[in-house]
Amino acid sequence: MASGRQSSKGQESVELLQGTLDLIVLRALSTMGPQHAYGLTARLEQVADHPLELNQGTLYPALVRLEQQGLIKGTWQKTESNRDAKYYAITKAGLRGLEKQTARWRRLAGLVDKLLLGAS
Amino acid sequence: MNLVQAFRPAVARFFSRLRNACLPGRAEADLARETAAHLALLEDDFHRRGMTLDDARAAARRAFGGVEQMKDRQRDARSFAWLDDARWDLRHAARLLQRDPLFTLTAALSLAIGIGANTTIFTVAHAVLFRPPAGVADPGQLVDIGTRQPGGGFGNSSYPNYLDLRARATTLDGVYAYSLFPRAMSLGADPGTPGTERIFGTLVTANYFSVLGAVPLVGRLFSADQAESDGADAVVLSHRFWTRRFNGDPGIVGRRMTLNDRSVTVIGVAAEGFQGTGIRAGDAWVALTAAAAASSLIDRASAWLLLGGRLKPGVSAPQAAAEVDAIGRALALEYPDQNRGLGLRVQRLSPVPGSSAPVAVFLALLMSIVALVLVIACANVAGVLLARASARRQEIAVRLAMGAGRSRLVRQLLAETLMLFSLGGAAGLLLARGLTSTTVAALPALPFPVNVSVALDLRAVLFTAALVCGAALLSGLAPALQASKADIVPALKDDAQAPARVRLRHAFVVAQVAFSILLIVVAGLFVRALQAAGASDPGFDRRGVELASLDLSMAGYTGTTGLQFVRELAERVRALPDVEAASIATSVPGGFEVQRRGVTVPGATPPDGARAFGVDWNNVEPGYFAALRIPMVSGRDFTPADRAGAPLVAIVGEGTARRFWPGEDPVGKQIVQQEFGARGPNPAAAKTLLVVGVARDVKASTLIDGLSSSLVYVPLQQQYLSRVTILARTTRGQRIADELRTLVVSLNRNLPIVTSATLEDASAIGLVPQQIVVSVAGGLGLIGALLAAIGIYGVAAYAVTRRTREIGIRMALGARRADVVAMVLRQGVWLAVIGSAIGLILAAGASRALVAFLFGIAPLDPVIFGGAAVLFAVVGLAACYWPARRATRIDPLTALRYE
Repeated sequence: MASGRQSSKGQESVELLQGTLDLIVLRALSTMGPQHAYGLTARLEQVADHPLELNQGTLYPALVRLEQQGLIKGTWQKTESNRDAKYYAITKAGLRGLEKQTARWRRLAGLVDKLLLGAS
Repeated sequence: MNLVQAFRPAVARFFSRLRNACLPGRAEADLARETAAHLALLEDDFHRRGMTLDDARAAARRAFGGVEQMKDRQRDARSFAWLDDARWDLRHAARLLQRDPLFTLTAALSLAIGIGANTTIFTVAHAVLFRPPAGVADPGQLVDIGTRQPGGGFGNSSYPNYLDLRARATTLDGVYAYSLFPRAMSLGADPGTPGTERIFGTLVTANYFSVLGAVPLVGRLFSADQAESDGADAVVLSHRFWTRRFNGDPGIVGRRMTLNDRSVTVIGVAAEGFQGTGIRAGDAWVALTAAAAASSLIDRASAWLLLGGRLKPGVSAPQAAAEVDAIGRALALEYPDQNRGLGLRVQRLSPVPGSSAPVAVFLALLMSIVALVLVIACANVAGVLLARASARRQEIAVRLAMGAGRSRLVRQLLAETLMLFSLGGAAGLLLARGLTSTTVAALPALPFPVNVSVALDLRAVLFTAALVCGAALLSGLAPALQASKADIVPALKDDAQAPARVRLRHAFVVAQVAFSILLIVVAGLFVRALQAAGASDPGFDRRGVELASLDLSMAGYTGTTGLQFVRELAERVRALPDVEAASIATSVPGGFEVQRRGVTVPGATPPDGARAFGVDWNNVEPGYFAALRIPMVSGRDFTPADRAGAPLVAIVGEGTARRFWPGEDPVGKQIVQQEFGARGPNPAAAKTLLVVGVARDVKASTLIDGLSSSLVYVPLQQQYLSRVTILARTTRGQRIADELRTLVVSLNRNLPIVTSATLEDASAIGLVPQQIVVSVAGGLGLIGALLAAIGIYGVAAYAVTRRTREIGIRMALGARRADVVAMVLRQGVWLAVIGSAIGLILAAGASRALVAFLFGIAPLDPVIFGGAAVLFAVVGLAACYWPARRATRIDPLTALRYE
């Protein structure tokens, strides 16, 4: 991570992740309701069969991006332990976006699957 | 799902990023709070799992990963990183420049001079060559129409030719005519009051305003269909004159005044800023048919009007030019006496009709001079930037080692350059503001008012901005690229600097020297040219003569009354207390205007089959030669007895005498003054003149030309012309413009003085372009030389610092002080020598291109070239003096311990 910002290789893999990460975050918020960033990481790590390598360095930019696009909205609230935290909730535009992106992802995944199966 | 909806998230994000880039404060605070909250929650978790508070905090940090890296990436996502970077770069650059105010000030000042000079010349060039006239509708469709003489050129037309062109042209929507130069007129503000004020009026045809599409501010303008009802006495005032003289009185319309002894009525005021199509600014417009002398309206040979027209919609300028050309040919065939060899030509509308090309050449020369100065200033700044970059080598190397990108570093170094140049550009704009007004104020006193609008407009600001960006990139890029080259290890070890960088710096210094010497040589050549023009004897004494020109027709004098008036005027001028000698003549030597006439001489054959000899002609009153101190070689001056009715006489110049009567005494010989009719000389109208005297030759037209060898003088009393000039030599060279004015008014209150000047000034107008070049190139060349000296000093001083240890060793080994001095001098002087050599070669090329401006002096003038070389050798030595002195004071012991 120390030199990751400058390495073109690292940036490439982030680019690849971006679309999927946005989709995962949207999906998580739509099923679990409003979450703060920490909660989101914890849940995603729990839910995944394989521990999902989700470091903060990628999650925060994704959250900013989604919020700026108006797909999620963050508000400052108190946790059950009375801590300050920014809770992100999916917006109406976010739900529409999730629907669209899910459909697109399925089509793409199906296509790649088909190609991979055909090739083997 | 429409398009807007599809792009809404992207658009929303764009604006959000922009907002965050501009106002990072809130988002940054929010991010800090969110990060802290995240860490707190992690900590709580670890604490709950049984860790101590301290352990939990450390574990939370570990689990979170790099906080700053995360923040950085979040910042990249939430705003525009490059915009953030740019702001950071600029802030950093400002800090660096503040830290070194001396460098910032000198660099910005030299750039300000370079940029200011360029903006000034650009503004003037734009105003004189391209600025569309104010208050004129669709100027792109307007053209100037002039006559083509056999040798080219763009001359005036006669009124009858104008009427024919207007009647025949089908490609033009309208053809108007106007007197090119506004004429001096006398104005009396009330009817019946004699004219006491001299104003300048432009004579225009009735359709002038309507073809130009001008609109009145008050009242109305001339219009073609109302020409009859306006009558002969209509006058339109310019906005400026109306404001100055009548305080913008809206009741001016209908007011009656006296103009040149004629009663006129003001019918309107033109819109603010309107001054026709050129740089000549008159006070009033007068109907041409009413104000012009009757003869100049019917005489097809009397060419005094410039024509203009508006292209019909859909007609191109070349189409109109073709048609006008054909009409010109037809007129030359139909009226061979008056129009022989004359053609008509169409040119794009220009503020200086017919003079665009020479004016453009001159301005291009000035533009190249100021461009050179900017290049010198840029090379100077680039050299210093390079030196600064070397000084920051360690800092840069550390940043490169820490993983900073090279492009990022280059951008940061360029930001510093750009900021420096912007400072210079802003100061340059201020300088240009002062310079343009000075330039206009320094224009030579022309015999008519000129108004060039040289306000710094948006165009000038854009030009300056483009100049700043271009120059900053040019002079900043090389140093930035050099500085950011990743030779980290040697840099960190404080080794000697890369040879490429030293070479680059030397190249900058060489360029400064070369271009400065080029400027100095150009200035020097023009000084020599002026010297040559001034040193050669013009044949008359220029000093101490007051001139006042008059147009007697303004006050209604005719051939008969005018003669009496001239004689009385001459006597009254001679009677003035301060006047030593005085006369009146139609031409002034060295004053540009020269009358040419054709004569024949019994027994001499004109060259090349011509029908007559062309001679320089002047109609003078007695005492002319004494007043100008032109020696009479033989014979006598004119006397009061040489008057109308007496035998016609003439005085010739020595050259004329040699040409017509070589080896003989010219006195008593005859000259035949030819008048031209339909088929060449008209013997019936020819006059035979008896030569009564011979005078020394003088420069007739300009001081640049040689002595005229074809001078013929005749008595004004025998051949009257209404435009005359009083020449009065004063006892101690004092000016007597006011006395002459008072005297003329006392003789006739309606006769204004058209121009008043000294003979010295009037005969020097032809030298003004050269004088401008001398002051511009000379002044800027000296600044360039100073900058070059700073550059050489910088290189030499740096070399001494860099080689301190070496010098110490040499001295320890027994090198003498002279050896050390020679070593330092070699470096600096070598650069001066290479630069001078290149500069002199460039100057040799430039001087050949400038030959037309140099009045025939040798373009490779050894004094100037040699002098410039010596000057720069001295500059080079002087610049090395302090570094050399410092080198000899190096203490070997200290030097060896250095590091």
